[in-house]
Amino acid sequence: MEITVVGCGAVTAVGQGIDSLRAAIRANSSGLRSCARFKTPIYQSDILGAVPNGGLVDDPVFHLADLALREARAQAAATLDKFPPARIGFVLSTTKANIEALERLIDGRPCSESAQKHLQAHGLAADLAATHGAAGPVQTISLACVSGIVAIQQAAKLLQRDAVDAVLVVGVDCLSPFVAAGFSALRALDPLGCRPFDRDRNGLSLGESGAALVLARGHGEITICGWGGSNDANHLTGPARDGSGLVLAMRRALKAAKISPRDIGYVNAHGTGTPYNDAMESLALRSVFGDECPPVSASKGMLGHTLGAAGIVETIICILAAQEQLLPGTPRLTAPADGAPTQLLKEPRAATNLRHILKLGTGFGGVNAALVLRHG
Amino acid sequence: MDALANELKIRIIETLKLQDITPAQIDDEAPLFGAGLGLDSIDALELVVMLEKYYGIVIKDIEEGRPAFASISSLAAFIRARKSSP
Amino acid sequence: MANLVITAASIVTPDDLNRFQFGMRFGRLDSVCQLGLAAVEALGIDFASQPRDQVGICVATDNGSLSTDVEYWRRRNEPGGASPSLFVYTLPSMVIGEIAIRHGLTGPTLCLMGGSDGLLTEAADMLRRDEATACICVYCDVVSALAAETIHLPATARACAVYLQRGVQGLHVLAANDRDIIPLCAKLCT
Repeated sequence: MEITVVGCGAVTAVGQGIDSLRAAIRANSSGLRSCARFKTPIYQSDILGAVPNGGLVDDPVFHLADLALREARAQAAATLDKFPPARIGFVLSTTKANIEALERLIDGRPCSESAQKHLQAHGLAADLAATHGAAGPVQTISLACVSGIVAIQQAAKLLQRDAVDAVLVVGVDCLSPFVAAGFSALRALDPLGCRPFDRDRNGLSLGESGAALVLARGHGEITICGWGGSNDANHLTGPARDGSGLVLAMRRALKAAKISPRDIGYVNAHGTGTPYNDAMESLALRSVFGDECPPVSASKGMLGHTLGAAGIVETIICILAAQEQLLPGTPRLTAPADGAPTQLLKEPRAATNLRHILKLGTGFGGVNAALVLRHG
Repeated sequence: MDALANELKIRIIETLKLQDITPAQIDDEAPLFGAGLGLDSIDALELVVMLEKYYGIVIKDIEEGRPAFASISSLAAFIRARKSSP
Repeated sequence: MANLVITAASIVTPDDLNRFQFGMRFGRLDSVCQLGLAAVEALGIDFASQPRDQVGICVATDNGSLSTDVEYWRRRNEPGGASPSLFVYTLPSMVIGEIAIRHGLTGPTLCLMGGSDGLLTEAADMLRRDEATACICVYCDVVSALAAETIHLPATARACAVYLQRGVQGLHVLAANDRDIIPLCAKLCT
């Protein structure tokens, strides 16, 4: 029995709903813009991947996750309707949950009870699960920027253990002064906006998103066929420069999926746009694929780095790529850096028989994750 | 004895929360990064904050700070130079 | 498949921190990471003799990085701005990085929010699937006095850990209903 994706939903900088994501892939467009949301000049960059008409004051994280879950569940209705709520599980991926509540509490501004409850990631998960009819096991994953990939993995494990018959998986993080101030203090933001794998890249851009999947056992168009994780054991914020940690995660994922590197038809990179990440990732890809690297692209130039949502929303981009047989480009890439993957896609390209896709992620704390999807 | 150099040693120990080390154990000329004290990129950023907080010196570009951070001596010299030509 | 066996267990509080020699840079770690590292240290495992690319790390917590979040945000307006080293610790999973770096462990990792229940189930799953041949499981939870006052939660600081291995003799064979690390450590550490 396989693990299949039966529904997707997303709210991002390019709009609300999967159709907006699909249109952005086709147009290779970017949702990053100069954004006045924080109304302060002190951050390194004001280029953000903000959800249009976002910046909802109260409990924004619940709101974004809720929207994404509604869309995913609507798509998955035929499957979900077969199962009692106790057999529907829930996995949340988030790095900071509703952190804006903490800002309000410390700054002495009024804060609603629900916003405060959702400051705690598991409280957020519990309420989202209850709202969306999932009365089975609830897990909350917070593993830095690989949370999303690991959440998908955990959902697949729940299904394979027969603890559930379907799982709602949602990843969410919102833009916040808390996070912007921090990345600014690390001087990790590109003042001109991120340009993954570009020769002139100079940092990341923050984004926000709520992105959801529904997984179930069965045979479907998109299958989750393997995953792998590792730790660099090197430095808290800088990746192992030779990419060896990410290589381990990739090899473990390929082994779990029982495929070899040449079976991969497309790689969606982590591609934050920082000098170190993209160089490391280029090396890691070369280590695994040698001279036969499949087409690679990065999506953070479209949406920004959406942290806890990244692994989910970028997996959805992979799913859309497979459904459309269209390999996404790398928005905001101008001139590839030396050493960038040989088949780095600047523009979208029609795919011929795209079957296996590899999604990569790395994060603070030296974490690495890789996910293999299969189409057909 | 260079009072500024000694003050910097105290501030660095305090700012970076170094344990089991006294100012006397930090050599003025020893490297701060890589070898010597073995500080890393996050420490460099924290020292940039320290320079602003205690000495009113703003470093806009981290590369500007790199030569200054080579050792306690170079940091003291950097501060003196910045303070005498605002 | 061979039995899954707990070969070491520990419980620590902040009073235990000075039992260990962590070196000059230990002060940079936030309170959660310090306590988590101490819990692993107290297991007494010689990781140099372990297959370090096959040792997983699973962490569970209730309050994650909340205490550091509060300190970081409260201090952001000090001259010089927000502290980069404090910000680095505003993620619940950084203790995984600290454990991995200290012991050179490159296996898979997991961080669960929402308490200690289920941590052992996930670690056992990791071993049964051969994603790792051993796993460090840590429950670590800190709410500082300042965070307690800010968020209206009880202050706390505690951590416990077990080392789970396959096919060896040890303290305790993992049973199917051993889900929660806290009562298990309480039993094994008396």
